[in-house]
Amino acid sequence: MDIRFDKVEVRFEGRTVIHPLTVTLTERRIGIIGLNGSGKTTFARMINGLVKPSAGRVTVNGFDTVSAENDARQQSGFIFQNPQNQIILPILREDIALGLKSRKLPKANVAAAVNAVLDRFEIGHLADRRAHELSGGELQLAALASVLVTEPKILVMDEPTNQLDLRNRNLVERTIQTLPEDVIVISHDLDLITGFDRVLMFREGRIEADGAPGEVIGRYRALNGAEA
Amino acid sequence: MSTRDLVLSALFAAIIVALGLVPPIMLGFIPVPITAQSLGVMLAGVVLGAKRGMISVLLVLVLAAIGLPVLSGGRGGLAVFMAPTTGYLIGWVFTALITGYLSQVMVGRDQSGLVQTVNFFIAALCGGVVVLYGFGIVYLALVTGMGFTQAFLGSMAFIPGDVIKALIAALAGRAVMVGYPLLPQRA
Amino acid sequence: MMRSLHVDGDSFLHRLQPGVKLTALAIVSLCLFTIQTPAVLAIAAIIGLAGHCMLRISPRQIWLRLRPFALIVVVVALFTAILNSPGEGLTAFFRLAALALFASLVTATTTTGDFIDVITRAALPLERIGLVRAQDVGLSIGLVIRFVPEIVSRYEAIRDAHHARGLKLNPISVAVPLIITTLRSADEIASAIDARGIRRQK
Repeated sequence: MDIRFDKVEVRFEGRTVIHPLTVTLTERRIGIIGLNGSGKTTFARMINGLVKPSAGRVTVNGFDTVSAENDARQQSGFIFQNPQNQIILPILREDIALGLKSRKLPKANVAAAVNAVLDRFEIGHLADRRAHELSGGELQLAALASVLVTEPKILVMDEPTNQLDLRNRNLVERTIQTLPEDVIVISHDLDLITGFDRVLMFREGRIEADGAPGEVIGRYRALNGAEA
Repeated sequence: MSTRDLVLSALFAAIIVALGLVPPIMLGFIPVPITAQSLGVMLAGVVLGAKRGMISVLLVLVLAAIGLPVLSGGRGGLAVFMAPTTGYLIGWVFTALITGYLSQVMVGRDQSGLVQTVNFFIAALCGGVVVLYGFGIVYLALVTGMGFTQAFLGSMAFIPGDVIKALIAALAGRAVMVGYPLLPQRA
Repeated sequence: MMRSLHVDGDSFLHRLQPGVKLTALAIVSLCLFTIQTPAVLAIAAIIGLAGHCMLRISPRQIWLRLRPFALIVVVVALFTAILNSPGEGLTAFFRLAALALFASLVTATTTTGDFIDVITRAALPLERIGLVRAQDVGLSIGLVIRFVPEIVSRYEAIRDAHHARGLKLNPISVAVPLIITTLRSADEIASAIDARGIRRQK
């Protein structure tokens, strides 16, 4: 991946949420940590163009998230905190097909791509079930399928293990490890990102630390243990 | 329409449908159960305002028309639009529109709680009683040929219940506005 | 919950285009209003009832489909008969029964998906004048069906919380938390739709 934040600042209702920052992300596995309200979710949402910078610019694989919004958006997929809110049609198969249908692909291609992604996450048996009946872990896999069916190159996940029991958490961890896509994970679950290539720590709208997981996570622990 | 407005309208439509599925709630002071679905229609206007409120009610009616049993008592299908009481269903759209419009115009964030509640009540009363019964009675009279006086007499028994619902909608609308304000305000 | 009133089958009515069925229903309804003879209206009602036999469902199931309208039709017919004249009551009864029966037939022989396609196509002219986006119709309908069970679960949680604290259910203490918790999820759902490029411009 090649994500560039160039002098990016975000202000919201007179408050500065992200202070001007310049950073380039190219690693295959990147973790983002920080306390609630530190700006990490706002930062991650800019990658998908869900939040637009108030100043500066964000480019994803060369596409500007403002002037080339659709192209930039196609580069990345976003998994939200609550997978329940990510599945928007009643039947899983219809939901997964939705992202492809809006690209006006032929029906047969849509069906084939949906089946392929269902097989990839081994959830073919859930395809015709109602989203309401799925468990938390099943919903998280379904959300992954619904996002990855359009083949984004980068996957951004906002606290993917937040609402899962230990077994489903481990399932999601293994799934993240084996994904061929580049992955950016926001997480309070520090064990999830210890094996990553790079970790950013946010604090009060700034990148406080940036480097190898061991060192950044150690600093995060020390800082918040001391502040408490 | 923004995606957020579309989702808010759809979610409120889902609330109206869900209110038709739950058992009627008894009020302490009167022996009549409150069927929550028509309350939901007034609430759509009070909470979301004219445009989004009206769209959510339209969505409920579309779901009913395409054969889903979304109306209270498990009613649905095109037959509900071919019934003597269809005027009340059509009236729902305007209940949400008028209640929502009047709420937007009359209720301000800087008013006291009492003034807000009274204004919401007036809005819900106009939309949920005056406008709704206007549509319901005229339609009933025209479709059955029974005449306006008869149609009015036949409908009168239900008016007190809807006045109480307007009051509940006003109280609930004001509480929602405090907890999660969504009502569009005059510029 | 939310099971469609559609009945599977391959009758003549099932095979007919949904647009044709809806147009026919509109024309038939208008005709029923111009006819004033009870005997003719009675024949129409009998045809509507006979149509239900083509659905290959039991008489009990037919009755369950018609029950919601039966009472209101009878009440209005009686009201008309008493206040106006017995003849007018009879006319009203057969006319209203025929209307409900024909409408119920179209519902039973048309799938929800077919209806959504018809509405989406009907919305295309409105899209051209910039009033709605046709594809939003199917999306909105899907969203409502998707989230009704979630809201019913929320209602049950609120009800249980009342009971756990020994409180009686009252419409305000149920409706307010139900509305606030539900609408709070709107932002994330809207973001999920936008992030997946489902409502892209152009």
